[in-house]
Amino acid sequence: MTSLVLLAVLLHAFGLRVESLSDVSIQLMVLGRGEFLGALFAALLGAISVTGEIRHGTIRSTFLFTPVRNRVIWSKVLVSGAIGVGFGLAAGTIGAVAGTAALKARGIDLLLDGSNDALLIAGASAAGGLWAAIGVGIGAIVRNQVPTLIGICAWLLFVEGVLAGDVGVLGDIGRLLPGSAASAISGQDPGTLLAPEVGLAVLALYAFALALAGAVTISRRDVG
Amino acid sequence: MDAGQPVAVAAPVRVTSLTKRFGRLVAVDDLTFALEPGTVTGFLGPNGAGKTTTLRLLVGLAEPTSGEALVFGRRYRDLDRPARLVGAVLEASDFHPGRSGRDHLRALARSDEIPDRRVDEVLELVELREDGRRRAGTYSLGMRQRLGLAAALLGDPELLVLDEPANGLDPAGIHWLRSFLRDFAEQGRAVLISSHLIAELTQTVDRVIIIDSGHIVASGPLVELTRNGRTLEDVFLERTGASK
Repeated sequence: MTSLVLLAVLLHAFGLRVESLSDVSIQLMVLGRGEFLGALFAALLGAISVTGEIRHGTIRSTFLFTPVRNRVIWSKVLVSGAIGVGFGLAAGTIGAVAGTAALKARGIDLLLDGSNDALLIAGASAAGGLWAAIGVGIGAIVRNQVPTLIGICAWLLFVEGVLAGDVGVLGDIGRLLPGSAASAISGQDPGTLLAPEVGLAVLALYAFALALAGAVTISRRDVG
Repeated sequence: MDAGQPVAVAAPVRVTSLTKRFGRLVAVDDLTFALEPGTVTGFLGPNGAGKTTTLRLLVGLAEPTSGEALVFGRRYRDLDRPARLVGAVLEASDFHPGRSGRDHLRALARSDEIPDRRVDEVLELVELREDGRRRAGTYSLGMRQRLGLAAALLGDPELLVLDEPANGLDPAGIHWLRSFLRDFAEQGRAVLISSHLIAELTQTVDRVIIIDSGHIVASGPLVELTRNGRTLEDVFLERTGASK
């Protein structure tokens, strides 16, 4: 994950033209690549905590020892969530540090200060924790590991970009999608995306709803 | 065993009019039977007869369409600490290949507040003490069967539910399993063992339930079923052939 974050941040910092990099939003976006990748890895981790067990069959023993399946899912949410916060923290910090260093190296005027960085890192941590929970929920609903992981990657790396990003098919509503909400928490794209607190609330709602849906479906379904 | 262990007074297994449908397929059809403590009961039937489905219904991995399957008077999923009453081995390879056998057991033990000491005890019991530290992915089928049994024994249960446990065991392993199960029953506990290895079951079980196409076609003490010089195989072929 760390190498990918470094790659993404440095590519953007050195790849974009100086003119575009002189905009606050763009600078936030470059540093925010960390948050984005941290959230993705956290989501994959959360998903694997369920789909991995299903794939290897250990889910049977898990449910034999703990037949109250809700308890199992919520435990996975807690543990993956905690690790997701760690992913977000690490990725957010690397993104902020590497991004800042790269921009300075190119002689670009840094429009961000310490409070921006702090929000970026805190936001990334929160996004990581909540996306891990979303991953657990999706994993519990879809159950099959490959489509789950591909689906999460496709959504974050592509689908949401189409629906909410530059192409903006959904317009304003696109801001409410989970990936955009996650970026909003770290203060990115202040003109377009939600305010950080609102982004946090929206993402938390997604996390709770999907984790709950996952717990309910896996409790009801037969285990093979 | 700790003093908090509930005294099991209800029958280890009581299945009443148990039915399970998958769409239009009736996998288990109005099954009724009960087990007594101190016995090893063989659950015998051709492939696709509904044996595995019945066992899954018994331990809460699947829900019945109608009827009920109770262990010690309760639905499995309603038991407070099921692993302390029931141990089940349903699939031979339910392990993460990268984890050591011992760690697999420790993770399960932790989920039920069972100490590591017990993990080492069960590893010793199934003769996996040395191999316990190796990754489960390196285990032979026989070793995986024994690891599964070790997991089922962690909670020192009163009932063992086993699906084809002799599968993959060499003659020494099968001999070991047979004596283990007889000892287990002699302690007043119960075993439900599903198998299609008739010859092996004959040497291990007290009672037999023969199932075909989801319903019971014969049941009773082994000695009664095999009166008059008939073998269990004779009974099996006769009862399952006729219902087709």
